[in-house]
Amino acid sequence: MTHVVSESCIRCKYTDCVDVCPVDCFREGPNFLTIDPDECIDCAVCIPECPVNAIYAEEDLPADQVHMTKLNAELALLPTWKSITKRKIPMPDADDWKDKTGKLSELIR
Amino acid sequence: MIETEALIIGAGPVGLFQAFQLGLQDIRCHVVDSLPQAGGQCVELYAHKPIYDIPGIPLCTGQELIDKLQLQIKPFAPAFHLEELVSELHATEDGQWHVQTNKGTQFKAATVFIAAGVGAFVKRGLSLPGFNELMGKHIFHEAPNSSAFKGKHLLVLGDSDAALQACQQWMQGPEAAASVTLVHRRNHFQADPQAVDAMRLACEMKSMRFVVGQPTGLIHAEGVLSGLELMNAEGESDILQVDSILLCLGLSPKLGPLGHWGLAMERKQLPVNTESFATEASGIFAVGDINTYPGKKKLILCGFHEATLAAFGASALLRPEQKTPLQYTTTSTHLHKLLGLS
Repeated sequence: MTHVVSESCIRCKYTDCVDVCPVDCFREGPNFLTIDPDECIDCAVCIPECPVNAIYAEEDLPADQVHMTKLNAELALLPTWKSITKRKIPMPDADDWKDKTGKLSELIR
Repeated sequence: MIETEALIIGAGPVGLFQAFQLGLQDIRCHVVDSLPQAGGQCVELYAHKPIYDIPGIPLCTGQELIDKLQLQIKPFAPAFHLEELVSELHATEDGQWHVQTNKGTQFKAATVFIAAGVGAFVKRGLSLPGFNELMGKHIFHEAPNSSAFKGKHLLVLGDSDAALQACQQWMQGPEAAASVTLVHRRNHFQADPQAVDAMRLACEMKSMRFVVGQPTGLIHAEGVLSGLELMNAEGESDILQVDSILLCLGLSPKLGPLGHWGLAMERKQLPVNTESFATEASGIFAVGDINTYPGKKKLILCGFHEATLAAFGASALLRPEQKTPLQYTTTSTHLHKLLGLS
């Protein structure tokens, strides 16, 4: 089991989650954060931190987000996606994108 | 050096219940926690949030659960060492464990119960060059005294109630700072909406100001801080003149020193057997969210079960010549005596 970042994070990257992670399992891409399932210990501390509720325990993922488990694992392995452990400024238009759904086509690897 | 039969690392719900179960086995214990109060995540993260799955308690908040546990362990009066982070743990020559905290408290413990959850909650700092050098001189987690920032250009970092209270405190009165600037990485606050309104009003009145930005550099020379470099949301860099920085960035759990104690770890958790929740190191038990075993579920109520069997395990280890009988708190006069009832 792991925790998974859902599509809600795309183009937002508020990064509140990375700061609380006790095992530093978040990886950062150009416009999305992912969780490395090999590092995540399912402590769930990150879930309430996300201002857009993008993070779920794998088995709690909404039906339209189950594909994100595989995608999180895949993205976490990309060499350009580096570990992120400190909060940073959200993406410039994060507030405009936070409530949008179906953002998968916006994801930049 | 404090000599004890048992030392519990972590005063969350499972650490507290561990003290209770050890008490029933007539084992006295000391409890160490990095936070200033008992309760761990239950108080730090979920104090006012509901919990529905504690057996026999249909609904309570995190704080209420901790209050009830504190009441329950009262007969055994465990000694608490709060605001201390266990920094070292190693075996002694006579098969016990030497434990030391960051405040220098030392224990020699026959058994150690690691109930450390997701690690120790530590105050967030800034990962910027020069931070360690300036910490305690120009950068603070709390004001060292009531006139520490008098006449200074003060930056307050954070978005919590504590951050906003600090702004209110230092922008007025006889001990006021020369200027107060609140810095947060976005224009959205965790603090109480009323406190946010008061802060915005104070900004309109020019009593203070608020700047959106992410700290990117400390400007200092010969140990004296003069500025904080910030990056704003547009990616532009700006420098704020500053004498003192007050950090109100909250707490963050980190596994911390535990990872360096030479204990076998599996994905940063401690593998245990499910008979006694002992680790492979004799005398060291791991209970609650920090342990792992087949079928592990990170639930408080599972931690209670783990703590119970760990206490039986410790009793067998500490008193091998003595049988550890199963007794019921309902009927056992021995347990009643331990609980101070007779």
